[in-house]
Amino acid sequence: MGTKGINNFFTYIGVIILLAIVLFPVFCILISSFKPLLELIFFGTGFFPQKFTLANYVSLISVQTPIRNFPLFLLNSLKVSLGTVLLSVPIASLGGYGMARYQYPGRDVLARSMLFIYVFPTVLLLIPIYKMFQNSGLLDTHIGLIIIYTALSAPFCTWLLTSFFRTIPLELEEAATVDGASRMTVFLKITFPLAAPGIVTVAVYSFVIAWGEYMFASILLLSNSKRTVTLGLATLTAEQYIEWGPLLAGSMLIIVPVIVLFFPVARQFIRGFMEGALKQ
Amino acid sequence: MKRYKRVSLVTYLYILPILVLIGIIFIYPLSQVLISSFYNIRLGAQEGIFVGLDNYRLIFSEPVFWKSVRSSLIWTFGNLILQLIIPLGVAILLNQKLRGMHFARTLILLPWIIPMVALAVSMRWMLLPGIGIFNEILKNIIGTQISFLGSKSAAMPTLIILNTWKWLPFGTLLILTALQTIPREVYEAARVDGANFWKQFIYITFPLLGKVIWFMGYLILVWNFNTFDTIWLTTEGGPGHIMQTLTILVYRRAFKVFRLGEGAAIATIGAALLMVMGILYFKFLSPKREDES
Repeated sequence: MGTKGINNFFTYIGVIILLAIVLFPVFCILISSFKPLLELIFFGTGFFPQKFTLANYVSLISVQTPIRNFPLFLLNSLKVSLGTVLLSVPIASLGGYGMARYQYPGRDVLARSMLFIYVFPTVLLLIPIYKMFQNSGLLDTHIGLIIIYTALSAPFCTWLLTSFFRTIPLELEEAATVDGASRMTVFLKITFPLAAPGIVTVAVYSFVIAWGEYMFASILLLSNSKRTVTLGLATLTAEQYIEWGPLLAGSMLIIVPVIVLFFPVARQFIRGFMEGALKQ
Repeated sequence: MKRYKRVSLVTYLYILPILVLIGIIFIYPLSQVLISSFYNIRLGAQEGIFVGLDNYRLIFSEPVFWKSVRSSLIWTFGNLILQLIIPLGVAILLNQKLRGMHFARTLILLPWIIPMVALAVSMRWMLLPGIGIFNEILKNIIGTQISFLGSKSAAMPTLIILNTWKWLPFGTLLILTALQTIPREVYEAARVDGANFWKQFIYITFPLLGKVIWFMGYLILVWNFNTFDTIWLTTEGGPGHIMQTLTILVYRRAFKVFRLGEGAAIATIGAALLMVMGILYFKFLSPKREDES
């Protein structure tokens, strides 16, 4: 009992230190975003804001120029991210279901390559995709960006969903088939609802991927009015005189939606990830 | 649960969309980037002029290219080492069966899910000497400051640590998964035989993790060779080209200097280098047969 208690004590200390390191940068951004300008650019003003202010957020939202229009950029990002979810979830659901249920020739290689595709150097894609989009009129459109983000998130989502679909007993589907339901009805009425936690998880994952992406957006979007919020934020650092306050506030505005959406499904995410990883 | 439905032609429709998507966005562009590398193309122009191997000749003669290769290698291996060791320790810690551990495992996902842009641009302020919060803390503790992103010697280690922080959850989850497949009885038996924590780690945990660590090492190697956001959004490849990895050089050449053909050639060389490293990795570092089960 004695040594076990001591061990547990040290484990807890370790976990607390770990969590402190993991959460510290985001915590710094959060509290600093409430500091007035003077505290941001001068030393010796302490870690916590002496004078709590929302001025950075107000200035970020209210100061609008063509290259700095945060409300519009947030709206654009929302549009692109939701578009990605709407495209990615059906594709990944079908793919994941197929791979969980059918023994296609080469299926294991295929299932594994859903994860291995991320080994692909995305920078290699930049130039050909830029040219492809130029020729097909997708350059500088949100649709084009949605297609790219779907390609970036759907393979991982397919991989996650394969492990979710595997946990649903085949017998349930067979019983329905005996009752005369068609293949599509079985999928939509029985399997899909049972896989709902998994579906929600991948929906959130694709949203998060699309919401935070920068590299493709920076070359595929040309007009100011189409910019996503990540581009808008990066532009703030390119100015002669960097306004650190709005920059920190902008960072928080990008981080918060991700946290709010992701943490409710985090346990499902971990479960799906671990079950999928065991199959590798 | 190893039961499947009968495959017929129609059932391929399930996987068709994802395969088409991967084909168009990942596979087809591969051929295109190779073709582009033989042309002199300016950004915005529709067609380029065929120049054969000129782009390659030019690039191999540039000192800036060789510096990039060096930066890429330092960056990749620095990340590889840290991103293998640290998640291993974290996973062992989080594998203890204690109350609240599930909550801790959830919380450590944070670095993975927050957008790199937000982190990177905030870091530019936090790490700035004379202003930023990190330097303020440093000054209070050790009385001196570090130009984390501004000095040639500090930028590389700083960004490697930042990047390791960002990818910590992924490696931790993978190792945690593997740890949970090791039966607890094995450890209990070892403890009865008097094996301490280190002996348990060296003789039980590590050998059983070999395969996962090997798999992870490969992913990390390739991912980090391709890092863009962490570097571009903090230093844009600076100070003094020290952070200009091949990925950054491709982006800069193609979309900042507008020479698509040269960018494509550098991208192709980078992919070839990566492939060579991948082959060496598989050839020399594959886990020995005993480790596979």
